[in-house]
Amino acid sequence: MSTTLDLHSHSEASEDSRAPLEAYLNWLKLRRAERPVDGVVLTEHRQFNKDADYRALEDRFGLLVLKASEVETDYGHVLVFGVTDEMTRRFDFANVHLPAQEVIDEVARMGGVAIPCHPGRPNVGLCEHYAKKPALENVVAVEVLNGGSRKGEDERSVELAQARGYRTIGGSDSHLVSLIGLCATRFEAAINTIDDLVRELRSGDYAPVDFRPRRKPVPHAVPVEVKQA
Amino acid sequence: MSDANNLTYESVQIGDALGPAEVYLSKDQVRAYAKACGMWTPRFTDDEGARKEGLPGMITPGNMSLAILSKLVTDWVAASGARIVRMGTTYRQPVMPDHTLTLQGFVTHKNESDRTAEMDIWIESDEGDRLVIGTATVHFPR
Repeated sequence: MSTTLDLHSHSEASEDSRAPLEAYLNWLKLRRAERPVDGVVLTEHRQFNKDADYRALEDRFGLLVLKASEVETDYGHVLVFGVTDEMTRRFDFANVHLPAQEVIDEVARMGGVAIPCHPGRPNVGLCEHYAKKPALENVVAVEVLNGGSRKGEDERSVELAQARGYRTIGGSDSHLVSLIGLCATRFEAAINTIDDLVRELRSGDYAPVDFRPRRKPVPHAVPVEVKQA
Repeated sequence: MSDANNLTYESVQIGDALGPAEVYLSKDQVRAYAKACGMWTPRFTDDEGARKEGLPGMITPGNMSLAILSKLVTDWVAASGARIVRMGTTYRQPVMPDHTLTLQGFVTHKNESDRTAEMDIWIESDEGDRLVIGTATVHFPR
């Protein structure tokens, strides 16, 4: 049984989102036909809410809700899956200059997996840092489909993954309710817990999936003549 | 889908669409806005001057983008008596004049206790990039 998860989303717990989790789940239920995801992973900016319990919402909507974090490093933004107390003691998640190599290695040692996200994005992505600094070691995967990407960013991410042999994931990076689930990752295995997710990200069979609607180009309009009064 | 001509809190449904509406924004319109708002600086008025600031050409002031997005909401509200009580926007990429913009939004949730509806709103470029994204809260009187 396969599982499709949006691996990158921000709820109102992140300072730049006003999207309640309940609204996300309701939207996925409404748009099930066009965005057939089985759940979401909340990757709040620079924090991890260990105590948040979403079981009631999971039961109500029949969707899986897992918790992770998006941290900021000297090589750009990184998603951390399988966050433990040991990790939050070892690293100050609020620090916007975390050492990426240490994050990747230490998170792995502590039982999680750290995955650079939107690597093709200027300033906060891996590609730009690789142009100036040595490549990171032990990178398992990178996010190559990001719902917030601008033109060319995902393409750069794919090129990086192909050149380095990284595995690839997708996520919406949604900060708005209606954008949840537009990009996701399909796993061949069943995933029910964060431990399942970490195991599959490390060694399972998965690929990014794109549910964004194909858009017809908008024709260039003719300026409207403004008559002077 | 709620009836735009008779919009009430009760008739609004989660998933209702605002737009899409296409708007062509000319450089002259942007210059006129910048002049009226006392923002007569090269980045809003002159391609060459904007490029000297590192921009790809003259751009639309953020306030103007916000105003354009607010019109998407007020057109949806029409004469229903509802009003915008909050808007918030994030500017992801410069809005370049002399392009066709698409305005779009969706009602995402409602709050019975204060009779408000929340909506996502955004401005898309003619290539489909979301240039400005945001949310708005609309209050419906009893």
